Amino acid sequence: MAQVVLKDVVKNYGSVYAVNHVSLTVNDGEFVALVGPSGCGKTTTLNLIAGLIPISDGTIVIGEREVTRLDPKDRDIAMVFQNYALYPNKTVFNNLAFPLQMRKQPRETIEEKVKAAAKVLDITHLLERKPRELSGGQQQRVALGRALVRDPAVFLMDEPLSNLDAKLRVQMRSEIKRFHHNLNATVVYVTHDQLEAVTMADKMAVMNGGFLQQYDTPAQVFANPVNTFVASFVGSPAMSLIPLQVVTHGTDVALQSAEGWELPLSPENARKALSAKGKDVVLGARHSTLKLHKAPHPGAVPGRVYTVEPTGDVTFAQVFIAEAVVNISVEPTVMLDPDEQVWIEFDQSRLHLFDGETTMALSAR
Amino acid sequence: MTSATGPAAMSSASTRAPSRRASLGQRIWTQRADYLYVLPALVVMLIVIAYPVYYTIELSFFKTPTSLQLKDKIFVGLENYTTILTSGSFWQVTWQTLIWTFFSTLFAFLLGLGAALALHGEFVGRGVLRALLLIPWVVSAVAASYVWKWLYHSDFGAIGALLVQLGLTDQPINFIDNRSTALASLIVVNVWKEFSFAMIMLMAGLQTVPEQLLRAARVDGASPWQRFWHVTFPHLAGVSTVTVLLLTVQNFNSFIIPWIMTGGGPAGASDIWITQIYQLAFGRQRWGVAAAYSVLLFLIMMVLGYFYVRALTRGDDARAGA
Repeated sequence: MAQVVLKDVVKNYGSVYAVNHVSLTVNDGEFVALVGPSGCGKTTTLNLIAGLIPISDGTIVIGEREVTRLDPKDRDIAMVFQNYALYPNKTVFNNLAFPLQMRKQPRETIEEKVKAAAKVLDITHLLERKPRELSGGQQQRVALGRALVRDPAVFLMDEPLSNLDAKLRVQMRSEIKRFHHNLNATVVYVTHDQLEAVTMADKMAVMNGGFLQQYDTPAQVFANPVNTFVASFVGSPAMSLIPLQVVTHGTDVALQSAEGWELPLSPENARKALSAKGKDVVLGARHSTLKLHKAPHPGAVPGRVYTVEPTGDVTFAQVFIAEAVVNISVEPTVMLDPDEQVWIEFDQSRLHLFDGETTMALSAR
Repeated sequence: MTSATGPAAMSSASTRAPSRRASLGQRIWTQRADYLYVLPALVVMLIVIAYPVYYTIELSFFKTPTSLQLKDKIFVGLENYTTILTSGSFWQVTWQTLIWTFFSTLFAFLLGLGAALALHGEFVGRGVLRALLLIPWVVSAVAASYVWKWLYHSDFGAIGALLVQLGLTDQPINFIDNRSTALASLIVVNVWKEFSFAMIMLMAGLQTVPEQLLRAARVDGASPWQRFWHVTFPHLAGVSTVTVLLLTVQNFNSFIIPWIMTGGGPAGASDIWITQIYQLAFGRQRWGVAAAYSVLLFLIMMVLGYFYVRALTRGDDARAGA
């Protein structure tokens, strides 16, 4: 196993930058998820690490070696693809054996390694079958096995679960997590599903528009998103964002909506709000930090119920506040009707403030 | 208990069997609208295909002396067939037909595969080159045959002149008026004419090779040749089978190039089945023998056709079964 270091990695097609000066370090044995919406550059980044597409600028180091210009086969990596990419005309055994055969390993070694990998993944009974005779989950295991037999320095996984149905996906998610734990493997994992990233990864790299937005542990990314993009991408339902204006009354600082109501801020939040470049700030709050009142309440701001989604354990209400849609979770016993007038109370210690111009998180320096 | 349920189960099974397999007439009747819709096409097909086939088969059992009118033909049973099979020229023509078909198909396929692979990559001028390589296929076979006839000409041919200038030969080679080179020269023209077809088919096939498989093979350490052999070529198996079968059928049936360029000559050295049949029928008015010949050709084509349809529908069966 080894670490992976990306330094100022760029991939551009003319003036279009698919990957824009991305630097990050994946430590030995770490599980890192590259996550972001489609077209954010996450898969391109993975392909650059794999060497499947030529890099425009920057350097990539795997282990102790710089591999920036090396062929994929010389990078000591293994890759798992979204649609498994099993060789349809070969049996499972030969699929697993293929990377070893290409490396001219002796027949006995190949047999030994394939059988060992098959045992780990519980696919021994499938070795003589063709890929089309396997279920999606089994094909996924074979694809993992083909990566495993090589004992590579790094595992690269490109949305390996997105072709599976919801139930199987949850199951394979824990299997891949287990796989990582048992092998202590270095894994770079691409997904568009932030939930996969949060649940599986040691660290997540959130990308958007070719830029690396934030690279940290899922807990940190969740608790302290660096900008409005990360805030709205991570978490389900997403963090609600309300654009507001800063107003001051002497030493008191409040946020004012276009409708006219004001939300007084705590001293710490006031300092944050004042550090914004202009008057515009974006208030961010996660559903669980908000409190819904059915009658006017001190410090609560007015809103109008848009939709109500009961999920069993908890009911999600979408409420219009200052023309922004805000997600709030309430007890399932709370009865709400669309268009009902409600009042929302914010938890001052757990709300987020972002600069309305730069979208960056504000800090209380 | 068991003795009571046993016969009951059996009898219910036996009564269910006929209802599950309704009689053919019944099934046609329930789907009468469908049959009605295809009826016009069916009628046309019967007139333009079924009747000529029937008439050819009928004619193959008759003798048609040039002194008699065609309607006064004389029934001779299988004589036409024995005449063909015992004649010395039949085996020579058959051998030439096999050589013609085999080598035309082989080289057209290989050349087409090479061209398809070359054109699959991205490079400047790919579109122009692709268009150029398509010309042989779209150009009229008759025109092409005359052009090639001139290129091959023993006195004024460009190929002969080129070979002399390059110092490869002292005298221009007599390509198509020479017993030992005529058939090979025709095969060259035929390959030139139809390799574009194989190229198009295989280019279409290449576009369906999943990119992720090729990438997986690259990561797995396969060289370009190994990627071709382990990923691309197996993926092309289906389209290759169809292409080879179509080329085989086309070559077995080809007429224009050999007829225009050599007419089967010199001294039958480039005669193949079709040119032979044409000559028998329209040259020597031996309709019966020509018909018998055609029936034999028809049988061979049916066999090839069977494999072609099977190759085409194999994918459907696999999909239906899955």
